[in-house]
Amino acid sequence: MSVPIDDEAITALQGALAAEHAALWSYTLILAFVPGDQAVEARQDITAHRTLRSQVEQTLTDVGARPVSAQPAYATPVPVTDALSAGKLAVTAEADALAAWRSVLEHTTNQQLRVAALTALSEGTVRASRWRAATGTAPVIPSLPGIVR
Amino acid sequence: MHSGPPPRPAAPPLTRRRALSLGLAAGGLGLAAPVLAGCAAGSSDGPDPLIPLVTRARSDAALVTAVITADPSLTGQLDPLRSARSDHAATLEQEIARVAGTTASPTPAAAPTAPQAGADLNAVRQAVADAAREAAGLVGTVPIARAGLVGSVAACCAAYTAVLGAAQTS
Repeated sequence: MSVPIDDEAITALQGALAAEHAALWSYTLILAFVPGDQAVEARQDITAHRTLRSQVEQTLTDVGARPVSAQPAYATPVPVTDALSAGKLAVTAEADALAAWRSVLEHTTNQQLRVAALTALSEGTVRASRWRAATGTAPVIPSLPGIVR
Repeated sequence: MHSGPPPRPAAPPLTRRRALSLGLAAGGLGLAAPVLAGCAAGSSDGPDPLIPLVTRARSDAALVTAVITADPSLTGQLDPLRSARSDHAATLEQEIARVAGTTASPTPAAAPTAPQAGADLNAVRQAVADAAREAAGLVGTVPIARAGLVGSVAACCAAYTAVLGAAQTS
Protein backbone atom coordinates (compact mmCIF):
# COMPACT_ATOMS: atom_id res chain seq x y z
CA MET A 1 0.00 0.00 0.00
CA SER A 2 1.41 3.31 -0.91
CA VAL A 3 0.20 6.84 -0.71
CA PRO A 4 0.98 9.21 -3.51
CA ILE A 5 2.30 12.65 -2.72
CA ASP A 6 2.97 14.75 -5.76
CA ASP A 7 5.56 17.47 -6.24
CA GLU A 8 3.10 20.24 -5.54
CA ALA A 9 2.28 18.78 -2.15
CA ILE A 10 5.97 18.33 -1.41
CA THR A 11 6.63 21.98 -2.16
CA ALA A 12 3.80 22.98 0.17
CA LEU A 13 5.15 20.68 2.88
CA GLN A 14 8.59 22.27 2.51
CA GLY A 15 6.87 25.61 3.05
CA ALA A 16 5.26 24.30 6.22
CA LEU A 17 8.63 23.00 7.40
CA ALA A 18 10.27 26.37 6.74
CA ALA A 19 7.51 28.06 8.77
CA GLU A 20 7.99 25.57 11.61
CA HIS A 21 11.74 26.29 11.63
CA ALA A 22 11.02 30.01 11.79
CA ALA A 23 8.47 29.54 14.58
CA LEU A 24 10.93 27.54 16.66
CA TRP A 25 13.61 30.19 16.21
CA SER A 26 11.07 32.85 17.18
CA TYR A 27 9.99 31.09 20.34
CA THR A 28 13.58 30.82 21.53
CA LEU A 29 13.75 34.59 21.35
CA ILE A 30 10.27 35.01 22.84
CA LEU A 31 11.22 32.94 25.88
CA ALA A 32 13.83 35.51 26.81
CA PHE A 33 11.26 38.30 27.09
CA VAL A 34 8.01 36.92 28.46
CA PRO A 35 7.07 36.50 32.13
CA GLY A 36 6.78 33.12 33.78
CA ASP A 37 3.19 32.22 32.93
CA GLN A 38 3.68 33.06 29.27
CA ALA A 39 6.99 31.23 29.28
CA VAL A 40 5.13 28.11 30.33
CA GLU A 41 2.81 28.56 27.36
CA ALA A 42 5.70 29.31 25.04
CA ARG A 43 7.40 26.07 26.07
CA GLN A 44 4.26 24.12 25.30
CA ASP A 45 4.08 25.83 21.95
CA ILE A 46 7.70 24.94 21.28
CA THR A 47 6.93 21.31 22.01
CA ALA A 48 4.02 21.40 19.54
CA HIS A 49 6.14 22.99 16.83
CA ARG A 50 8.99 20.53 17.41
CA THR A 51 6.56 17.67 16.95
CA LEU A 52 5.24 19.16 13.72
CA ARG A 53 8.75 19.82 12.46
CA SER A 54 9.89 16.27 13.01
CA GLN A 55 6.70 14.88 11.45
CA VAL A 56 7.16 16.94 8.33
CA GLU A 57 10.86 16.10 8.11
CA GLN A 58 10.07 12.42 8.45
CA THR A 59 7.36 12.56 5.83
CA LEU A 60 9.56 14.43 3.36
CA THR A 61 12.39 11.99 3.94
CA ASP A 62 10.04 9.07 3.43
CA VAL A 63 9.02 10.33 0.01
CA GLY A 64 12.61 10.93 -1.02
CA ALA A 65 12.65 14.71 -0.66
CA ARG A 66 15.37 16.51 1.24
CA PRO A 67 13.80 18.54 4.07
CA VAL A 68 14.68 22.22 3.97
CA SER A 69 17.01 23.40 6.70
CA ALA A 70 16.45 26.18 9.20
CA GLN A 71 18.00 29.56 8.52
CA PRO A 72 20.67 30.64 10.99
CA ALA A 73 18.49 33.62 11.92
CA TYR A 74 15.28 35.33 10.87
CA ALA A 75 14.28 38.96 10.54
CA THR A 76 11.57 39.93 13.01
CA PRO A 77 8.93 42.36 11.76
CA VAL A 78 9.60 44.63 14.72
CA PRO A 79 12.49 44.54 17.18
CA VAL A 80 11.76 42.29 20.14
CA THR A 81 12.51 44.24 23.28
CA ASP A 82 9.84 43.35 25.81
CA ALA A 83 6.95 41.00 26.56
CA LEU A 84 4.55 42.79 24.21
CA SER A 85 6.85 42.78 21.20
CA ALA A 86 7.74 39.17 21.98
CA GLY A 87 4.05 38.28 22.05
CA LYS A 88 3.58 40.01 18.72
CA LEU A 89 6.39 37.96 17.26
CA ALA A 90 4.53 34.84 18.42
CA VAL A 91 1.39 36.14 16.68
CA THR A 92 3.37 36.60 13.46
CA ALA A 93 5.14 33.26 13.68
CA GLU A 94 1.88 31.43 14.29
CA ALA A 95 0.14 33.29 11.46
CA ASP A 96 2.94 32.36 9.07
CA ALA A 97 2.71 28.72 10.11
CA LEU A 98 -1.08 28.76 9.69
CA ALA A 99 -0.76 30.17 6.19
CA ALA A 100 1.75 27.46 5.33
CA TRP A 101 -0.50 24.69 6.64
CA ARG A 102 -3.49 26.09 4.81
CA SER A 103 -1.37 26.04 1.70
CA VAL A 104 -0.70 22.34 2.24
CA LEU A 105 -4.46 21.81 2.26
CA GLU A 106 -4.72 23.69 -1.01
CA HIS A 107 -2.02 21.67 -2.73
CA THR A 108 -2.92 18.08 -2.18
CA THR A 109 -5.78 15.71 -2.80
CA ASN A 110 -4.23 13.19 -0.43
CA GLN A 111 -6.78 12.70 2.32
CA GLN A 112 -4.33 11.77 5.04
CA LEU A 113 -2.20 14.78 4.28
CA ARG A 114 -5.26 17.01 4.34
CA VAL A 115 -6.31 15.63 7.71
CA ALA A 116 -2.81 16.21 9.09
CA ALA A 117 -2.77 19.75 7.71
CA LEU A 118 -6.20 20.48 9.18
CA THR A 119 -5.04 19.27 12.59
CA ALA A 120 -2.03 21.58 12.37
CA LEU A 121 -4.30 24.43 11.27
CA SER A 122 -6.80 23.86 14.09
CA GLU A 123 -4.26 23.43 16.87
CA GLY A 124 -2.24 26.36 15.57
CA THR A 125 -5.35 28.55 15.62
CA VAL A 126 -5.77 27.81 19.32
CA ARG A 127 -2.08 28.55 20.02
CA ALA A 128 -2.30 31.76 18.05
CA SER A 129 -5.46 32.80 19.91
CA ARG A 130 -3.59 32.93 23.24
CA TRP A 131 -0.90 35.21 21.85
CA ARG A 132 -3.45 37.33 20.03
CA ALA A 133 -5.42 37.75 23.26
CA ALA A 134 -2.25 38.56 25.22
CA THR A 135 -1.24 41.23 22.73
CA GLY A 136 -4.69 42.72 22.20
CA THR A 137 -4.84 41.48 18.61
CA ALA A 138 -8.43 41.18 17.40
CA PRO A 139 -10.08 38.99 16.45
CA VAL A 140 -8.55 36.49 18.81
CA ILE A 141 -9.80 33.74 16.50
CA PRO A 142 -9.90 34.92 12.87
CA SER A 143 -12.86 33.66 10.89
CA LEU A 144 -10.60 32.10 8.26
CA PRO A 145 -7.34 31.02 9.89
CA GLY A 146 -4.44 30.75 7.50
CA ILE A 147 -5.54 33.57 5.25
CA VAL A 148 -2.98 36.31 5.33
CA ARG A 149 -4.36 39.79 5.43
CA MET B 1 -19.91 29.39 -18.67
CA HIS B 2 -19.29 26.10 -17.03
CA SER B 3 -21.44 24.41 -14.52
CA GLY B 4 -19.47 22.51 -12.03
CA PRO B 5 -15.86 22.40 -10.99
CA PRO B 6 -13.11 21.99 -13.52
CA PRO B 7 -12.41 18.40 -14.43
CA ARG B 8 -9.86 16.91 -12.18
CA PRO B 9 -8.16 13.57 -12.12
CA ALA B 10 -9.40 11.37 -9.35
CA ALA B 11 -5.93 11.14 -7.87
CA PRO B 12 -2.83 13.23 -8.17
CA PRO B 13 -0.33 12.17 -10.79
CA LEU B 14 2.09 9.70 -9.40
CA THR B 15 5.74 10.02 -10.00
CA ARG B 16 7.82 7.00 -9.27
CA ARG B 17 9.50 8.12 -6.10
CA ARG B 18 6.46 9.77 -4.63
CA ALA B 19 5.06 6.63 -3.20
CA LEU B 20 5.16 6.46 0.52
CA SER B 21 5.76 3.00 1.74
CA LEU B 22 3.85 1.64 4.65
CA GLY B 23 5.91 1.51 7.78
CA LEU B 24 8.34 4.21 6.87
CA ALA B 25 5.98 6.93 7.89
CA ALA B 26 5.56 5.89 11.50
CA GLY B 27 7.06 9.15 12.67
CA GLY B 28 5.55 11.22 9.94
CA LEU B 29 2.19 12.78 9.39
CA GLY B 30 0.29 9.55 9.53
CA LEU B 31 0.19 9.14 5.80
CA ALA B 32 0.74 5.44 5.94
CA ALA B 33 -2.90 4.59 6.38
CA PRO B 34 -4.48 3.22 3.26
CA VAL B 35 -5.78 5.88 0.99
CA LEU B 36 -9.52 5.93 0.90
CA ALA B 37 -10.94 5.34 -2.49
CA GLY B 38 -10.65 8.30 -4.77
CA CYS B 39 -10.75 11.93 -3.98
CA ALA B 40 -14.20 13.03 -4.85
CA ALA B 41 -13.81 16.14 -6.92
CA GLY B 42 -17.28 17.42 -6.24
CA SER B 43 -19.52 15.69 -8.67
CA SER B 44 -21.49 18.07 -10.79
CA ASP B 45 -24.82 16.45 -10.10
CA GLY B 46 -26.68 16.92 -6.90
CA PRO B 47 -26.74 19.88 -4.59
CA ASP B 48 -23.52 21.64 -3.75
CA PRO B 49 -22.02 19.92 -0.70
CA LEU B 50 -21.18 23.31 0.81
CA ILE B 51 -24.86 24.23 1.16
CA PRO B 52 -25.26 22.45 4.52
CA LEU B 53 -22.26 24.41 5.81
CA VAL B 54 -23.90 27.69 4.84
CA THR B 55 -27.16 26.69 6.48
CA ARG B 56 -25.37 25.72 9.66
CA ALA B 57 -23.29 28.88 9.72
CA ARG B 58 -26.42 31.02 9.40
CA SER B 59 -28.25 29.10 12.06
CA ASP B 60 -25.25 29.34 14.40
CA ALA B 61 -25.11 33.10 13.91
CA ALA B 62 -28.83 33.27 14.69
CA LEU B 63 -28.37 31.09 17.77
CA VAL B 64 -25.59 33.31 19.06
CA THR B 65 -27.76 36.36 18.48
CA ALA B 66 -30.55 34.76 20.50
CA VAL B 67 -28.16 33.82 23.30
CA ILE B 68 -26.69 37.31 23.47
CA THR B 69 -30.16 38.82 23.48
CA ALA B 70 -31.13 36.61 26.38
CA ASP B 71 -27.92 37.30 28.27
CA PRO B 72 -26.10 40.45 27.15
CA SER B 73 -23.23 39.71 29.53
CA LEU B 74 -22.12 37.10 26.98
CA THR B 75 -21.71 39.69 24.22
CA GLY B 76 -17.96 40.12 24.60
CA GLN B 77 -17.39 36.40 24.62
CA LEU B 78 -19.74 35.47 21.79
CA ASP B 79 -20.02 38.40 19.42
CA PRO B 80 -16.77 37.51 17.61
CA LEU B 81 -18.19 34.05 17.02
CA ARG B 82 -21.33 35.53 15.53
CA SER B 83 -19.19 37.60 13.15
CA ALA B 84 -17.11 34.59 12.25
CA ARG B 85 -20.12 32.43 11.45
CA SER B 86 -21.71 35.20 9.38
CA ASP B 87 -18.41 35.53 7.54
CA HIS B 88 -18.36 31.79 6.94
CA ALA B 89 -21.85 31.85 5.46
CA ALA B 90 -21.02 34.72 3.11
CA THR B 91 -17.69 33.27 1.97
CA LEU B 92 -19.08 29.80 1.43
CA GLU B 93 -21.95 31.27 -0.55
CA GLN B 94 -19.51 33.08 -2.82
CA GLU B 95 -17.74 29.80 -3.47
CA ILE B 96 -21.01 28.03 -4.24
CA ALA B 97 -21.94 30.81 -6.67
CA ARG B 98 -18.48 30.69 -8.28
CA VAL B 99 -18.79 27.02 -9.07
CA ALA B 100 -22.39 27.32 -10.18
CA GLY B 101 -21.31 30.09 -12.50
CA THR B 102 -24.04 32.34 -11.25
CA THR B 103 -24.03 35.44 -9.22
CA ALA B 104 -24.81 34.87 -5.62
CA SER B 105 -28.14 33.28 -4.97
CA PRO B 106 -28.13 33.71 -1.27
CA THR B 107 -29.66 30.96 0.71
CA PRO B 108 -32.55 32.32 2.68
CA ALA B 109 -31.38 33.95 5.82
CA ALA B 110 -32.22 31.87 8.80
CA ALA B 111 -35.60 32.90 10.05
CA PRO B 112 -35.31 35.33 12.90
CA THR B 113 -34.82 32.98 15.73
CA ALA B 114 -37.83 32.86 17.90
CA PRO B 115 -36.77 32.63 21.50
CA GLN B 116 -35.49 29.10 21.53
CA ALA B 117 -35.74 26.96 24.54
CA GLY B 118 -32.22 26.08 25.58
CA ALA B 119 -30.57 28.90 23.64
CA ASP B 120 -27.71 29.28 26.04
CA LEU B 121 -23.94 29.12 26.12
CA ASN B 122 -24.07 25.36 26.26
CA ALA B 123 -26.12 25.25 23.06
CA VAL B 124 -23.51 27.45 21.41
CA ARG B 125 -20.72 25.14 22.53
CA GLN B 126 -22.55 22.19 21.08
CA ALA B 127 -23.35 24.01 17.84
CA VAL B 128 -19.79 25.13 17.20
CA ALA B 129 -18.43 21.67 17.96
CA ASP B 130 -20.91 20.19 15.49
CA ALA B 131 -19.91 22.79 12.92
CA ALA B 132 -16.23 21.94 13.36
CA ARG B 133 -16.99 18.27 12.90
CA GLU B 134 -19.13 18.80 9.82
CA ALA B 135 -16.55 20.98 8.05
CA ALA B 136 -13.68 18.70 9.04
CA GLY B 137 -15.61 15.80 7.59
CA LEU B 138 -15.61 17.49 4.19
CA VAL B 139 -11.96 18.55 4.17
CA GLY B 140 -10.66 15.25 2.86
CA THR B 141 -12.90 15.09 -0.17
CA VAL B 142 -13.65 18.59 -1.45
CA PRO B 143 -11.96 19.70 -4.68
CA ILE B 144 -8.57 21.27 -4.23
CA ALA B 145 -9.90 24.78 -4.85
CA ARG B 146 -12.14 24.44 -1.80
CA ALA B 147 -9.88 22.64 0.64
CA GLY B 148 -8.38 25.79 2.10
CA LEU B 149 -11.74 27.46 2.65
CA VAL B 150 -13.41 24.43 4.22
CA GLY B 151 -10.28 23.79 6.29
CA SER B 152 -10.24 27.35 7.59
CA VAL B 153 -13.91 27.15 8.55
CA ALA B 154 -13.24 23.87 10.35
CA ALA B 155 -10.17 25.28 12.14
CA CYS B 156 -12.04 28.40 13.24
CA CYS B 157 -14.91 26.37 14.67
CA ALA B 158 -12.50 23.91 16.31
CA ALA B 159 -10.66 26.79 17.95
CA TYR B 160 -13.90 28.26 19.28
CA THR B 161 -14.81 24.83 20.58
CA ALA B 162 -11.51 24.70 22.44
CA VAL B 163 -11.84 28.22 23.79
CA LEU B 164 -15.51 27.99 24.84
CA GLY B 165 -15.05 24.60 26.45
CA ALA B 166 -16.91 21.37 25.97
CA ALA B 167 -20.69 21.31 26.10
CA GLN B 168 -22.06 19.97 29.34
CA THR B 169 -24.21 16.95 28.89
CA SER B 170 -26.60 16.96 31.77
